[in-house]
Amino acid sequence: MEAFKSLMDGFAICLQWQYLFFAILGCLVGTVIGVLPGVGPAAGTAMLLPLTFGMSPIASIIMLSAIYYGSMYGGTITSVLVNVPGEAASAITCLDGYAMARKGRAGSALAMAAIGSFIGGNVATLGLVLLALPLTAVALKFGPPEFFCLMLVGLSLATTLASQSVVRALVSAVLGLLLAMVGIDPVMGVPRFTFGEKELLDGIGIVPIAMGLFGIGELLLTAEGSKSSVIHTRLREMWPSYQEFKTSIWPIIRGTGIGFFLGLIPGVGVLVPTFISYAVEKKISKTPEKFGTGMIEGVAAPETANNAYCNAAMIPLFTLGVPGSAVIAILMSAFMMNGLIPGPFLFKEHPDIAWAVIASFYVGNLILLVMNLPMIPIWVSFLRIPTPILYTLILGFCVIGSYSAHNSVFDVGLTLFFGFIGYAFKKLDIPLAPMILTVILGPLMERALRQSLEMSRGDFTIFFTRPISAALLGLTAIFVVTSLMKMASKIKEDRVV
Amino acid sequence: MLTMKRPYQLTALVLFFFSVLIAYESLQLKYYTPLGPGPGFFPFWLSLCLAALAVAMFYQATFKKAAPRPADFVDTRVGYLRAFTMCTAWIWATLMLERLGYRLTMLVFFPLLLLSLGRVKGFLVILISILGSVVAYYVFSIFLSVPLPVGPLDWVFEPIDDLLY
Repeated sequence: MEAFKSLMDGFAICLQWQYLFFAILGCLVGTVIGVLPGVGPAAGTAMLLPLTFGMSPIASIIMLSAIYYGSMYGGTITSVLVNVPGEAASAITCLDGYAMARKGRAGSALAMAAIGSFIGGNVATLGLVLLALPLTAVALKFGPPEFFCLMLVGLSLATTLASQSVVRALVSAVLGLLLAMVGIDPVMGVPRFTFGEKELLDGIGIVPIAMGLFGIGELLLTAEGSKSSVIHTRLREMWPSYQEFKTSIWPIIRGTGIGFFLGLIPGVGVLVPTFISYAVEKKISKTPEKFGTGMIEGVAAPETANNAYCNAAMIPLFTLGVPGSAVIAILMSAFMMNGLIPGPFLFKEHPDIAWAVIASFYVGNLILLVMNLPMIPIWVSFLRIPTPILYTLILGFCVIGSYSAHNSVFDVGLTLFFGFIGYAFKKLDIPLAPMILTVILGPLMERALRQSLEMSRGDFTIFFTRPISAALLGLTAIFVVTSLMKMASKIKEDRVV
Repeated sequence: MLTMKRPYQLTALVLFFFSVLIAYESLQLKYYTPLGPGPGFFPFWLSLCLAALAVAMFYQATFKKAAPRPADFVDTRVGYLRAFTMCTAWIWATLMLERLGYRLTMLVFFPLLLLSLGRVKGFLVILISILGSVVAYYVFSIFLSVPLPVGPLDWVFEPIDDLLY
């Protein structure tokens, strides 16, 4: 009850007109940042951090938080409309969101993403209010072995994203892991696979990979004429149908749960919950083969998980002072610039600020829903732009995005390289999603594996002797075996690979 | 009927040779250290996995019935020319961005693409080229604080710079 009373006090502060204004401004700017390919939430929040120097602590953090979740929704818009993820977390939405747009259901996809995001975000914020301390205690029990096994679960689920063949999905996943190895070794500080190129010492950024694989690869295919180049959608079809609402209820609930739980584990990253929720939906669907052809579940679940994760990721920050992702780390620096140290003492020393910011998450989510649903026709109208103009503009934005991530032309060149890979993989029906997932998971997995083996002095039984890691390994085994069985039966049925 | 047999066989071979290269590079790094696995540990095992997958792909392509090759697997000459133009424009941007600066590079990039990807009216080509290069530069550098590269010939924009900065 005390938490609710404090939350009401927080609402009383954050509903003052000046804070409301900054929340609206943050949502708008965030959405625009999300729409621009390559300028992701981390880059956008970092870029706009200096703008908040002159603001009060509450206004500054409210605005930066609004930019954060606004950019998450903005990323969805380009994923659905032009198959270019505005930010990496929306990459998975390209699969079904874009397919829906091609069928004239772009409005439905965007509306369902907004509704799912609203529900996921609000439920996760409720969790922040109610369950912060006990749930964070569970997440804290995750040591390197548990973390490694959790990543294995994610990886095994990634193979279920395979369109036809588990072998091709695994090839994609292993190549992603190898890409993640490029750069300085995190433990010994030795350069790996840099081939003397100093630009590779920091590793390969997610922006050139995601933008190349999903954006440029698709543009090359479109320009080549493999797919129809003009997408038409009708505005009267912009609202989800009753059936689409009904179908989306459970994916939204599951997406909320996945996003919320993974948000509690620092370092998981926003990509993991979106990919896992997509994979779970595909796994339990009666028609998994239709995923990628415009299934509303493929949009509702990851988008909900995305926003639930973003809000839940605030829990370790607020309760322990541990940032779970790059954007949260930037938000943490905003706290610190204002003389506030996130963590348990924040609630004790500055309860007004802590609860006002938490209350602003509710307000921000509502603003996004109210603002974005009526604006769907504006986003859908992007589809009426003639293809040569639209794709030229996208390519131009991609040049800016790939350059501005690290101010490096090397990244611009890399983006084209990954564009070729994306193009070739699409021609060969090798799924791209496992590669993106493992590029993110790779460094985390390797660090967790090496830390685990250091803990056990090279003894691999550490993964079986700890109950949580053993349970997660069991889960991995189940996923792998069921996938292999599915593939074997498919080969038996079709005799086609 | 053309099938996907040959493309997958070729892909498997490329992947196999790539895995050999990675295995060789991994062995140049420390496999194990007194602290535990070294920097070569994870990539070495990954290269073995990739090699095994390449063999599996080759086996499937050679000994199982291959799927028919999609009709659009190889496209028309015009289609390839469009894709080639996009790549050329991108390579132009990569090579010239830091040499000519963003504005001049993109003043070539945009018309090149607009004129080659389809029919676009002349005034739209000029408008989009200016919006995408000069205007976008100021929007990103002033409003979004994204520093885009400047070049030695950017003095031509000095009057606008003086006005805006």
